Parts: sequence; C-alpha cells; structure tokens
Amino acid sequence: MPEASKMKKPDVKVVLLGDMNVGKTSLLHRYTERRFKDTISTVGGAFFLKQWGPYNISIWDTAGREQFHGLGSMYCRGASAVILTYDVTNWQSLAELEERFLSLTDTAHHGCIYAVVGNKADLTDSKAQLSQDSDGVSEDQIQEEMTKPQVLSACPTPPASPASLSGMSLNKQVTREDAMAFYGRILRYKGLEEKGSLPAEKMCFETSAKTGYNVDTLFETLFDLVLPSILRNRNENLQSPTVDLEECRGAGSKRARSTCC
Amino acid sequence: MSVKAFELVPAVERDLLMGDKARINIECIECCGKHLYVGTNDCFIHHFLLDEVTSAKGKLSYSSQKLLHKYLGLKKPVAELRAASALERLIVLCDGIVFLVDMVTLETVPSAAGGGAKIRGVAAFCINENPVNGDPFCVEMGILSSKRRTVQIFMVYEDRVQLVKEVGTPEQPCAVSVDGYFLCLALATQYMILNYNTGASQDLFPYNSEERRPIVKRIGREEFLLAAPGGLGMFANAEGVSQRAPVNWSESVIGAAVCFPYVVALDESFITIHSMLDQQLKQTLSFRDGHILQDFEGKVILASTKAVYVLVPLPLERQIQDLLASHRVEEALILTEGAQRNIPKDKFQILHKRILQQAGFIQFGQLQFLEASEHFRKGQLDVRELISLYPLLLPTSSSFTRCHPPLHEFADLNHLAQGDKDKVLRCKKFLISYLGEVRSTEVANGCREDVDTALLKLYAEQDHDSLLDLLASDNACLLADSIPWLEKYHKYFALGLLYHYNGQDSAALQLWIRVADGDLQDPTRSDLYEYVVDFLCSCSNLDLVWQYADWALQKDPTIGIHIFTKRPVSKDWPQLNSDDVISYLGKHVQAQLLYLEYLVLERRIQKEKFHTHLAVLYLERVTMLLSQSPIDEAQLSSARDRLQALLRESNLYRVQILLGKMENCEQLLLERATLHGKLEEHDKALHILVHKLRDFRSAEAFCIWASSCRDSAYQQQLFHLLLGVYLDGNRPGKSQAAAAAAGGDSGDLEMAAVDLLNRHGEVFDAVRVLRMLPEGWSLQLLRPFLGRAVRASVHACRTSQIALGLANSENLQLLHDRLKERKKPIFVSEKKGCHLCHNTFSEPDVVCLPGGVPVHTQCVAQRVRDSPTKRLLTNSTNHT
Repeated sequence: MPEASKMKKPDVKVVLLGDMNVGKTSLLHRYTERRFKDTISTVGGAFFLKQWGPYNISIWDTAGREQFHGLGSMYCRGASAVILTYDVTNWQSLAELEERFLSLTDTAHHGCIYAVVGNKADLTDSKAQLSQDSDGVSEDQIQEEMTKPQVLSACPTPPASPASLSGMSLNKQVTREDAMAFYGRILRYKGLEEKGSLPAEKMCFETSAKTGYNVDTLFETLFDLVLPSILRNRNENLQSPTVDLEECRGAGSKRARSTCC
Repeated sequence: MSVKAFELVPAVERDLLMGDKARINIECIECCGKHLYVGTNDCFIHHFLLDEVTSAKGKLSYSSQKLLHKYLGLKKPVAELRAASALERLIVLCDGIVFLVDMVTLETVPSAAGGGAKIRGVAAFCINENPVNGDPFCVEMGILSSKRRTVQIFMVYEDRVQLVKEVGTPEQPCAVSVDGYFLCLALATQYMILNYNTGASQDLFPYNSEERRPIVKRIGREEFLLAAPGGLGMFANAEGVSQRAPVNWSESVIGAAVCFPYVVALDESFITIHSMLDQQLKQTLSFRDGHILQDFEGKVILASTKAVYVLVPLPLERQIQDLLASHRVEEALILTEGAQRNIPKDKFQILHKRILQQAGFIQFGQLQFLEASEHFRKGQLDVRELISLYPLLLPTSSSFTRCHPPLHEFADLNHLAQGDKDKVLRCKKFLISYLGEVRSTEVANGCREDVDTALLKLYAEQDHDSLLDLLASDNACLLADSIPWLEKYHKYFALGLLYHYNGQDSAALQLWIRVADGDLQDPTRSDLYEYVVDFLCSCSNLDLVWQYADWALQKDPTIGIHIFTKRPVSKDWPQLNSDDVISYLGKHVQAQLLYLEYLVLERRIQKEKFHTHLAVLYLERVTMLLSQSPIDEAQLSSARDRLQALLRESNLYRVQILLGKMENCEQLLLERATLHGKLEEHDKALHILVHKLRDFRSAEAFCIWASSCRDSAYQQQLFHLLLGVYLDGNRPGKSQAAAAAAGGDSGDLEMAAVDLLNRHGEVFDAVRVLRMLPEGWSLQLLRPFLGRAVRASVHACRTSQIALGLANSENLQLLHDRLKERKKPIFVSEKKGCHLCHNTFSEPDVVCLPGGVPVHTQCVAQRVRDSPTKRLLTNSTNHT
C-alpha cells in the first residue's frame, strides 16, 4: 500500500458544532472563500486548513444531522476551540446546543475555549444586513446585563413566538443575553470559574454568513485566543514520552511482510 | 463528474475455480507477490500464479495458472487466509481454528512441540503490518475470540504460535486491525482504540455492528479507515482523532481499501472510488455479487462469489489527462499535487509543470485569463507555445515548434474563437498583457526576440500606445520580420524608431521625411518635423546631419536651425565645426543669422569673425529694411535694437569695417556714435549725438555707457566733455553747426547743459563747472546742481571725518589690546606711594615708568624738565 500522504500537520484544531441548518458550513465558506453560496446538508464532516501566521489551524465543519451525531466527539477530540453555532431565528437550535452538543465537547482539549455564535443575524438585525464585517458590539450594554443576578435554569423555556411558526416573519427568537446566559452554563458544565475564564461578552457573537457580518471578527478573535494553546501544544510535544515512529523508522518497518518472490 | 482512475481486470475466471459446481463460493483470498490463494466454502485452498500481461496497446491483463488445490479436511468454509512470506506459511482460519499450512505444498504444518500450531475458538484475526517485535522471522497476530471478550496477541513462528498478551474489551469485539501496539476494534456498539501494551483505550464513535458490518481497515501508520453511521468512511488515528474529512459511501459497504489517493469501497452492486484529497466521488464501477475487497501490497483485489478480479489503477498521468480532457482543471491539479510524495521530485516537477500549462490552456480557451496566466506563470510555460496560437505572430526565423504531445487542442486562435471576433480581440488583449508581464522575466530567456517581435506585432495591430515605449526601450524585435507588419499598419514612425534602434538611422530618417512631407500617412506624431530636427540635433552621425539639414532648413529655418544650435555640448559627442556650419548656411541667410546669434549671444564665443559677421548681417538687414518703402517701423526698430545692442555690448567686432559700411548712411547716426565710442572717439560720438541727432538723452546715456567699466575720473571726464559740447555749441560763431543753427537751437543746448548738470551733478567737479559756466546764468537755474554739489562736498567732508575718527579709535583699541597682552595691570591706590616724590596718589591719572612703576604726572614732568637730555619712554594710561 502506498504510504498515505503526510499532510501538513495542523498545530491546532477548531470545531464548528451546532444543529442542522444553522449555517456552520456557510460560516466557514464565508470566511475561507469570502462569499455566500448555497450549500447542501453536510455529510459526515469536512475540514479546512488555515494558515495563520506561522501556524496551521484546522477548522472542522461537522454535520448537524442527528445521524452523524456520534461522530461529534471524535471531531472534538483535542480541539482547542469549539464554535457552538445556533440560529438566532430558531430557539430550538440554542436548546439543542445545550442538550446534544455540549456533551460532545468532553473530548476537547482541557484548555479549550468556547464561542457561542448566533448566525443568520441579517434576518433580524438591520445592522447585520449590509455590513461586510464591522465590530458592532456595544460593550456597556453587555456589562450591565452581566451584573444582573440571573437564574440559570438548565434549559430556558422558549418565549412565545407564534410568528416564527407561521413562517411569515422571522423574529429574533434568541437574544444575545440568552446566548451569554448559555455561555455561563457552559462554564459551569465545564466546572470553570467565571472569573478565570474568557468573559461572555467576548465569546458570544452574532454573525451573518450571508452578509459577512462579524464573520472575520469571530474567526480571527478565536485564532488569536488559541495561539497560547498552540504554543503549549508545541511545548508538550517536545517533552512527549511517545517515541515518534516516523523519526525512528528504519529498515525494520516492513519486516513482517517482506516478500521473497 | 467521473474520472477513470481504475480498471477492473479479471484475474481468475469461474471455470478455473469451481467449473460448473454451483454451490461452491469464494470465501477469502490472499495475494502475495504473484501468488494468489483462494479459500472456498467447501474447505479448499486454491493456489494460482498470477502473471501480468501487457498487450501491445498497453492494456493490462492477467493470466492465471492454477498450481495446486488442497482440501483442508474440515468441511467448513475457509474463513480467512493470510500469508507470512518470510516464514513460507499461510495462516488459515477455518471452523474457528487458526493453523499454519506450507505456502508451497499447502500441507498442514505439524507443530514442533507436537501439540500442533493451532489456536482454537477464533472469530477473526489480523496481522500487524507495523510489528513491535524486531524478529523478521516472526509475525504478530491479533485474535478475536469467539467466546470471550478479549483480544489475544500471538507471535507466529515457522512451526509454532505463542501467546504474548491478552487484553479484555468492554464488549464482544467483532472486527480488529492492529498497528504497533494499537488495536482498532469494532465492538458491538462502538469502535475503539486499545493499546494492548498499556491497556489504555480510546472510544471512537458509536456504531451498531448488528445493523451493518463494521469495517476496520489499517490504511497507514497508526491510521485506520472505519465504516461509520450514515454510510461514512471515517478516518481515525491511534489517538482517536480524525485527520481527514470522511468520505461518503453508501450504507451497505462490505469492504474498503486505500489506494492512494483514492479510497475504494465495495457494496452489493458497485465499486465506489473517492478521492482522499477532496473527498469527492470520482468513479463508480458496476460490480455484481461483490464479496471481498482487499488490498495486497498496493494491489486491490476483488472477488465475487465465483471469480477474482484485480482493480488496476490507471497511471496517474493518464488520470490527470482524463480530467483535463473533461476540463476539470481544479481536480487535475489537486490530484497532481496530492501525488507529489509518490513521485520522484524531478519527475514530479516536470509533470506538475506540464499539468499547470495544460490547465492554463484550458482556462485560456474558456477565456478565464486571470487563472490561465497564473497557471502559465507557475508552470513556466514557454511563451512561444502561447504566441504560436496566434497566426503570424512568431517571426518566420523562429526555430520554435510546439511541444509534443500538444499542450492543448487548439490549432490556432481562429479555431479557438470559431469566428467570434470579440473572442479573438480578448485573446489578443490578454496576450498583450501577458507578454508585457513576462518579457522582462526569465521566462523569456532564450526567446526574447520571438516575444518582443510578437508584442510589437500585436501593439501595431491593436494600435496600442505601448508600441512606442517598446521600441524606445531596450528590445529584441526582429527588424526584417517587423518591417512588413509595421508598414501594413502604417506605423512608419514606429518603424523609424526600430530602424534607429537597429542602427539604421539613415533609413529611419528617409522614412520619417516621407511622412513629414505627406508622402506616407501615419498620424502617430503630428510634430514629426520637430521630432526629426531633434533627432538630427542629437544624431552622432555627422554625415546624416549634413545630409538632412538642408531639408529641415528648407521646411522651416527657425526650427531647422535647432539642428545646429540645440546640439548637446559635450566632449565625447561629435561636434560640428562652427566655421563649416556658417559656410554651409550661406544659402540659408535667416538660418545663418540665427546660428551666429546662437554662437555670439548664447554661447558667448569670443571670436572676432563671428561678432563681425553677425554685426554685418544685422547691419545689412537694417539697411535692407531702410531701403524698403514703406518702411516697416516695427521690424526696423527691432532690427536696429539688435544691431545697437550688439554694437554696444560686444568688443570684438571690427569697428572700422562697420563704420565704413555705414559712413554714408545718415539714418544710422546713433550706431555711428556707438562705433565712435568704441574707438574712444568720444568727441566725435558726442558731436554726432548732440549736433546731428540732437538727442540729448542718448548723449547722456552714451556717457554712462562709455564709462561703465571705467573709474569715476573717466566718467567725470566724459561728462565734462559733453558739458563742453553743449556749452561750446552755445557760443555763437564758434561752431559750424551752432552757427548754422538758429537762435532757438542754442537755447536747446543751454537747457540740455542745465538739465545735465541738474541730473548728474554728483559726477562733475563743481569748481571746474562753475568756471566753465557763462556768467549770466541765474543761481535759480542751477539750484539743484549747486545744492547737490554742496551737499556732496559736505558729505565728503563728513565722511572723511568719520573715517578719521574710526581709524583713531581703532588705533586706540589696538594699543589697548597690545598692552593687555604684554603687561599685567598696574594698581594705583591711595595707599601706594609715588616712586619719585614718595607721596600717595590722590587722582587716577598717573604715568608709568618703564617697568610698570606708577608715578605722578607732575613728578615726571618735573623730572623731564630737570634732565632734558634724558629721554624717557612713557606710556600713559588710565588704570583703576
């Protein structure tokens, strides 16, 4: 068998998780190809290698369909960042993140960072309709929300919104505050102190793959944040007790099947 | 959408195996080199020799020769066969028992220990292709027990097997693959990785092995291919991480293998081939009753229940060419680049370049010029391949022939465009920009002439502005090939430039002159005449200058003369002899005049000949204008101004000649006066000015001019002379002219004298003037003159006093400085006594005796008086 081509080894892994049809593939497309195109439902998963300075970052796009759910924890294994994606017009998509996807991240790297991303913001937010990429986060407002004592229920109940069911208009079903509350619950799930972790206002994004709103900001913020993780990984590898067989590979590697005829 | 990556070739036909026995099926296969072993459900092993036969057309087929078949005697199907070629053993699984048979005789090997080299209760086994044991005559084997939830690791030797490890699993395993210490297991509900050395395990993902047959396939070092839910082919490494995106199979995949860069999978009716590079389905082959798909040392072998086939990969190049043939450029490039590691470096580079070039041509044909040029550049395309598409662009002398096999399917541009003129135009524009980019890069090395000539032709044809830039800069355009082309498009000016670039200035000039004269039409430059003049001006070939100057001067002498006057003056540039030029210009009077002006006025050449010649020419022109009637006043005055200016300012011309020429001319009195002035015949000059011209202003101006480079005494003398002329003329009877003049005339001179004095009072010696003036003149009349004279005198007096004072103080200062340098201060105080009278001092004024001894002034005076013979040197200073 010809030896499988040794790919450029990625230094760090970023995984996109989320329910089907929230726009994970579109987000990745927008970032890598700078455009929005029709995508079909992702089968299994796909990945993309991004050169970020001297580092290679692999970004895994996963399938949201229930059928492929079992593969999620494999994709997440060793991930340094997980992008939990929901659809701002669909309350259920946020709830799914908590119910189904959060547990998949158990296999991620111990220092993994989490971003909560509400996609399709162009449908609810005029700001996101034209902007290609502008950083429109109003900081004070968020600060205010964070200081409010909040009851963290395991799964918040969806607000009554009959309009969205009829499909006539796409109301915003998930507010940024909901997402930030969810972020708080992620930290609790991970057993992390809120103080020692990245703040919710920094890690919750609302994006639009269609217009490009906030997309670059999302990925680039994450890349900058995972850089320490890359350096740590490299250091760990240096001290790794595992013998790299590739390096030690000598004449004895094909002994078992050496042919004589 | 599909690529032809593999071909299915029959290896062992049904007849050879079971003939017409309908119930006999193939259960397992093993291939080791040329040896093919087939296990059947009736407990037989068949041994074939498989030979590759390549037909004259390059088509591959297999001829199989049956060597042996052997009944194992267990009445059960042979479940698995594995060769251990180093041991010359086949490892056989049949009826839950693993045992060894000889590879050649197929006889069961009796155990050395007597107990038989057998393992019982085996559900499945696998061979470690990346063994941890260093012994080459030993095979590592992983065994799944049919009853217990364990995996056993055995060492297989020539005549015995040895259990070395046993590890438990959480569920019943049903498929296994091993690499190093890593076992990849399919359990009942999930896949997992298990390190049998450390016991560490890693769950991969859930999978229901009851629903679908799991696949666990080692595809490389610590990497496995697994059948995943949803018909996916998942990759997982020993750490439980997926490093490649999954491929999308059907739900019912039976077997899978990797044949780089493809993943081959078999289901009930098809063989599907996906690329590992882009995860896309590349080829589908119909295959009924598929049963087994396995790869043996890179060879993929399939079996239906009745026959064996080999899946032969087509040569990579062929696959790439197929992709290119269907214009799938991106895929072809991915495949090429993906294969980089499987091809020797130099061979890959050649292949890669060629594919890039072909890809470029495909995109070129689709008018995707941006991508095409990128690929041409990366593929280092010989630009002539591209140029040769355009009819007639390559020079006839070019030795280029298109490479074989061809890089593209186009005969030429017309074939490509199919008569679409817009397409042709766009292709031409592309070539212009592409050639423009590459002509200065190394791509053009060795074919610079072809590139530049092609570019020239395109520029000319497209009426492109850069044509002139190309020709004016360093280029390698072939003259012979370009001439007819440029003539065809009436680019005569450009052709001239090319002649010039090739050192044929004469041809260039002939051509340009024909255009300038209107014989040929080329609107490139409306100022071609001026261009030719400029060209001649800086032309280093003097013969050409002489040859074509005539034409230029005839057309316009004022511009034509630039040939001589604008010539760059430099030592290493061939210069024209001024005398030759002047004599050459004999027939072009106007040009000659301009040239002399250039020499005399501009270059300030100090040669009598030129100055005289110019002055004579000026004079001739003035005389000519004077003789016309009616007289053109404007021209005359400008001509006279020039003449006068030259006469005044030049000191080199021969005054006598000019004077002789204008002696009889009463209209040029002013000029004559100037000439007299040059000869220092100031009285004659002033006489003319005052008495003949009666131009007192000019007389004054003459005085100032004639004395301009002299001292004030000379000037004073001149002014006195003028005053004398005025006053003499005023004395009746003394001068002829004055006598002839009437009474009013003498009044004029008087007034002129008064004005002169009043205006230039400071020049005159007032005393002399007062002596000269007639008695009768009133004081009032001369008041400004006298006022100024008095003021000047007072001023002079005071100025000299100031000068005296300043000189004194300077002297004092110097004395002070000298004293300070030479002596220390002398202290005088009321407590000190005078050395002469021994009284103390009461005043600061003292006298110092030599040696710095202060004494009273009166004491010194006393002493001097007392001894008049003695001379005492004293320094008188004030010290406090």
